[in-house]
Amino acid sequence: MADKDDHQDDHGHDDHGHIHLEYQPALPINNGKVILWLFLSTEIMFFAGLIGTYIVLRFGAPTGSWPTPHDVHLREVIGGLNTTVLLFSSATIVFALEFARQNKAVLAKLCMGITLLLGASFLGIKMYEYGSKFSHGIYPAKPHSDLYEKPDLYYLQAVKLRLADLTDAPATDAPATDAPATDGEATPPAEPAPAAAPLTEDQKLYGWPEYAAVHKQDKKAILALAYLIYPLEKNRESVLSYVEKLKTQQFQRQLDEEGQQRLNDWLDLDAVGRMSAAGFLGTNEDHDAKHLPIMIPSGNMWASSYFLLTGFHALHVLVGLIVFVILMALKLDSSRADMVENTGLYWHFVDLVWIFLFPLLYLF
Amino acid sequence: MTEHDAHADDADHGHGGMKKYVVVFVALVICTGLSFAVGSSSMMEGEQAWMGQVFMIAISCVKSLLVMLFFMHLIWEANWKYVLTIPASLMSVFLLCMLMPDVMLRTWWYSEERWRYAAEEVHVEAVAADSNGEEQEESAEPHASGE
Repeated sequence: MADKDDHQDDHGHDDHGHIHLEYQPALPINNGKVILWLFLSTEIMFFAGLIGTYIVLRFGAPTGSWPTPHDVHLREVIGGLNTTVLLFSSATIVFALEFARQNKAVLAKLCMGITLLLGASFLGIKMYEYGSKFSHGIYPAKPHSDLYEKPDLYYLQAVKLRLADLTDAPATDAPATDAPATDGEATPPAEPAPAAAPLTEDQKLYGWPEYAAVHKQDKKAILALAYLIYPLEKNRESVLSYVEKLKTQQFQRQLDEEGQQRLNDWLDLDAVGRMSAAGFLGTNEDHDAKHLPIMIPSGNMWASSYFLLTGFHALHVLVGLIVFVILMALKLDSSRADMVENTGLYWHFVDLVWIFLFPLLYLF
Repeated sequence: MTEHDAHADDADHGHGGMKKYVVVFVALVICTGLSFAVGSSSMMEGEQAWMGQVFMIAISCVKSLLVMLFFMHLIWEANWKYVLTIPASLMSVFLLCMLMPDVMLRTWWYSEERWRYAAEEVHVEAVAADSNGEEQEESAEPHASGE
């Protein structure tokens, strides 16, 4: 590796023009740094795989179906703040290295301490962000996840079941008279269904969408229900024009008595009245504990890739913090400069990954 | 550490310096600000959003170069740096290329049944009709209005 030219390039000024041919059995850096760089080159491929997968998933999703950052409660300001925190920590650890090389152990340790604090703040902000996802029912997987991809009958059914769970009442308001009696257990005689029991607010919520979907094959009613529970900006125009159509006499005349009743009950809902107002946040926001299923197209794919990417990144940050704590226990003088340098290289790489994650997740 | 290694390390120590690091840090913060400004501007709405996205990725590349060259000292290192970084970068690009036909173009080969459970595709012409207030009586598909 060390040929004549390289040698001259690197050390010509030391050699005063004399040429030394020297066999060099390894890279011209210490072993720790070689190992660290080898590790980083594998890390480059690891994160390239993860980030690359996110990019192709996002741009290969059905046109326009990928959630915008606001759809999934990502705030650019918080992402920007975290980026700055990480950049600042990269600067402080490189300062620590400079001080260690100058044998200023106290200053080096001070910079290392600041880096540790900044790294911990990054994780704190990340935890806060994760919390805001979890509180809205956005998890990477069942059973906690409330995410649905399409406003279809499965979604409607999920809403009904969740409401039934909440009230401990039967999910269906249709009398189950056609169910054949099973042998074995004696079933209590069916109570006469109250003929005109007033519908609860919950039943009113899905009453019209259910009727419209089943009797009129009108899936837009389910989209309107999804919007009512968890509004997505991209559906706003479509849903509001649909609701306006529902209010017209011409539309209502086509319905039978039950349909009209369910539609009027639905239109009378307080949330439907507020739907068109700016800043409408949906009924899930009104009733924190309800956690009705939410509809975000490609939401599951988004959640899986978001939590995987940021989770692996956060794990790397955590490992960095552990190394900082160990270094804090040592005297960071010039004899340990290599150690600080290698730690710094790892930390800069963690920063590098976030530099790409920030625009991809928060700004695209 | 051999005598030569010691030589190489000595050569490294002459570079860097606090001032350079501060300048690089300020440049990085400015780049972040630029990305942020473009990301929250009206450029990201509508059909020219790809321009903003390309700009932000370009900014990210500049930022990562700054970090690698200065904070990771690659600009001052000997030629060994290419041995470790270039193959890894090539493999990364190769991996991305491999993912494209497999994952990025997945909807090209979706069956009808797969579409039934897939996220909704936005139909641009239907959106235009929707935003004009036209009725879509027969449409069974919910449509969204823009990305």
